[in-house]
Amino acid sequence: MNLAEQLKEQALTEARRQAAREDGLAALRREGLAALERTDFPGRKTEAWKYTSLRALEDGHLSALAPARELEAPADFGGHRLVFINGRFNEALSQLPDEAGLEVIRLDGSSEAAPGASTEFTTPFAHLNAAALEDGLMLRVAANTAVETPVHVCFVSSADSPATSHTRLHLELGEASSLDLIEHYSGDGPALTNAVTELHAGPASRLRHYRLQSEQTESLHIGSLLLVANRDSRVESYQLMQGSRLRRNDVRAILAESGAELDMRGIFIGRGKSHTDNQVCVEHRVPHCQSHQLYKGLAGDEARLVFNGRIHIHAGARQSSADLTNKNLLLSRGAEVDTKPELEIYNDDVQCSHGTTVGQMDHDALFYLRSRGVDEKTAQRMLGLGFVNELLQALPHEGIAEWARPWLGQSLEQQ
Amino acid sequence: MSNQQAELDKAIEREYEAGFTTDVESDTLPPGLDEDVIRHISAKKNEPEWLLDWRLQAYRGWQEMPHPRWAHVHYPKIDFNSISYYSAPRSMADGPRSLDEVDPELLRTYEKLGIPLHEQEMLAGVQNPEHAADEQQGSSNVAVDAVFDSVSVATTFKKKLAEAGVIFCSISEAVQEHPELIRKYLGTVVPKGDNFFAALNSAVFTDGSFVYIPPGVRCPMELSTYFRINEANTGQFERTLIVADEGSHVSYLEGCTAPQRDENQLHAAVVELVALPGAQIKYSTVQNWYPGDAEGKGGIYNFVTKRGVAHDNSHISWTQVETGSAITWKYPSVVLRGDNAVGEFYSVALARNYQQADTGTKMIHLGRNTRSTIVSKGISAGHAENSYRGLVRFGPRADNARNFTQCDSLLLGEHCGAHTFPYIESRNPSATVEHEATTSRVSEDQLFLCLQRGLDEEKAVSMIVNGFCKEVFRELPMEFAVEAGKLLEVSLEGAVG
Repeated sequence: MNLAEQLKEQALTEARRQAAREDGLAALRREGLAALERTDFPGRKTEAWKYTSLRALEDGHLSALAPARELEAPADFGGHRLVFINGRFNEALSQLPDEAGLEVIRLDGSSEAAPGASTEFTTPFAHLNAAALEDGLMLRVAANTAVETPVHVCFVSSADSPATSHTRLHLELGEASSLDLIEHYSGDGPALTNAVTELHAGPASRLRHYRLQSEQTESLHIGSLLLVANRDSRVESYQLMQGSRLRRNDVRAILAESGAELDMRGIFIGRGKSHTDNQVCVEHRVPHCQSHQLYKGLAGDEARLVFNGRIHIHAGARQSSADLTNKNLLLSRGAEVDTKPELEIYNDDVQCSHGTTVGQMDHDALFYLRSRGVDEKTAQRMLGLGFVNELLQALPHEGIAEWARPWLGQSLEQQ
Repeated sequence: MSNQQAELDKAIEREYEAGFTTDVESDTLPPGLDEDVIRHISAKKNEPEWLLDWRLQAYRGWQEMPHPRWAHVHYPKIDFNSISYYSAPRSMADGPRSLDEVDPELLRTYEKLGIPLHEQEMLAGVQNPEHAADEQQGSSNVAVDAVFDSVSVATTFKKKLAEAGVIFCSISEAVQEHPELIRKYLGTVVPKGDNFFAALNSAVFTDGSFVYIPPGVRCPMELSTYFRINEANTGQFERTLIVADEGSHVSYLEGCTAPQRDENQLHAAVVELVALPGAQIKYSTVQNWYPGDAEGKGGIYNFVTKRGVAHDNSHISWTQVETGSAITWKYPSVVLRGDNAVGEFYSVALARNYQQADTGTKMIHLGRNTRSTIVSKGISAGHAENSYRGLVRFGPRADNARNFTQCDSLLLGEHCGAHTFPYIESRNPSATVEHEATTSRVSEDQLFLCLQRGLDEEKAVSMIVNGFCKEVFRELPMEFAVEAGKLLEVSLEGAVG
């Protein structure tokens, strides 16, 4: 039995065990199990997993659920905070918001309002998440509501032996409403976070979404993110992450109705022996939508950064405008960057472009700093931060920019 | 008005110009593929034992390989047993004495293709010593090797080339005359088990061109091969091998056409380039295989493996203008093995009606200070799908390597598609790669400007498209740049509006 078959076997065993439970989530789990049965795990020949091996999961992460734990609260950015530890909601650390128009629904089986899984998710990990879900969260913002305070959802995973925690976050943003949502993953130990996030921006709504992934190097993270932008909505998504043993994000953004606008940015930092794989797909399904993407990656030591950015313009999606930029710095021998910006266009009335570069730190700039007495490490750190500063400065949430700066600096310094 | 309409209709209905068939008596193997067929081909060509073994090994390997499905093209399953793997014009065997004796159909074919008379004689295999003088005085400065179905019909200017020490002949001839060179280089760039179609080619290749340029020689003229598939239900599997020895220079051009037939025909060629230290190879292609009719019926499946190995300080340049074939599956590549080697790829791919093209290049940087440039222009019209698929890879040893890639796509009409799949893999921190791609349609402003100055829409679009492709045409040898421009114009007719 090869690895893909082994993983499927493990996932199915786990999913079948969970499927026996009869509660509000039973329908979701059954759907997930059925989808999981139909889907194969990626093997060596799977194109979308060309650069990423699931060998790290040989340790048996999928066979065990991360145990319940008590941990300290992670960083606070102010605002409403909702904390999950190892996939279970922690009431003590959370402050449930009581803002008019903002509804928080627990997806722990107690409520019947559980949403079904979107058919847009296609990876076996997303199906497993649905099939084995114990606890998740759904946020609903009523029409014409501007939620003033950001909602901060923390997912902490921590384990001493290989185990998985499944997390699920679902957002429905009503017509002409607005929300700032911070999705923050942290943790340590050989824990795998299998995250599914589904965000729907209603007509004329505005969503600002931050996705922070700062788990420690021995942790694993496999995430699926679905963003759906409806008529005249505007979605901004900022994704900051540092590499860990295995980090894989499947991001799908769908411009589902005319007038939608998407702005997605990311900073990917890989140090040590980390592996970071981001697969982003932006789909223009209807006319008159815009999307802009800018990602910057830094790879040092023996880290590997994988990026795949696809822009898909469907037939009939006239007047589409889409661009993507991906810039990468290779800091040392042994590091590797594999990037593939893709365009898939079935319509002539479009303006699409992408650009990507892989290069090194500017020698002249390094020399300049060295000649002024700055040691090499510091100089590298300064230039590395300078490289991503454009993105940091553009973060609308100052608290996150301030939190990210030392965190990025630290990742840049670890040699 | 009605006159104008008629003109317009004519222009729209204008179809594949090289789509004639030639009734040439030919010697064709019955369809089907097994080891006996390969033995038959090999025996027919009087090949040495090692080459037959090589073919059989390739065939056995090929049987184990799955049919590749990763390209962004769609076609029904190919029945490899319905294809005939060998077809030769029979008139060759008798050896005509003068042009009068040559099968007039064959001559007409060349006439239609615009090949000058003295070259026609050579191509038809006229064995007349008087004409040897003509050869020397020929106004054209291009030596041609013509491959008709499975065999090379003739090679011109052999004598003049021989004076310079250049070997330019069909590959079957080279196997007989220069076995040591063939044995040394065949399969070194594209191994027999490289991929599905290359393995098939290695097993059944029937002819192709062989070029060897000795050290320090600058080839005195352009070399050219002309391919034509004529027989129905035959596949064409030619193999080209070009070896440029140290410090030499050669410019080589290939062209191709095929008759208009309702069924799909397979063309699976392999081209291998070896640029030894300091050598320079420029390989240009004007590909005009039959693309199928307006409904997408018929046309050539063009599944080609082209690759060059560039040693120290050498230079390999691929230039291609692709307007034909129902399906194109082709990635001329350069392995930059030596230090300071340079690889270039310039491509124009035009797809209209129901044509599908998945083409691009691979630049594998292994040596230090290696440089590569990729300029790809894709044009899609009608219901066509045009994809650029490329790979730029920097190995850990490729210090200071450099790549620049630009892929632009132009879309004409709302039912076509243009796609870009560039793979970039860097494992060297001192290497730099830049990739840019844009996709848009013909700018309204440019079109307006042309129309305002009295050009009709078709002319205007053709002019704009030509401008869009200028960067690539500039790289073609002069004569062929003009031909390529015209070809594009003809192919675009009826695609606008």
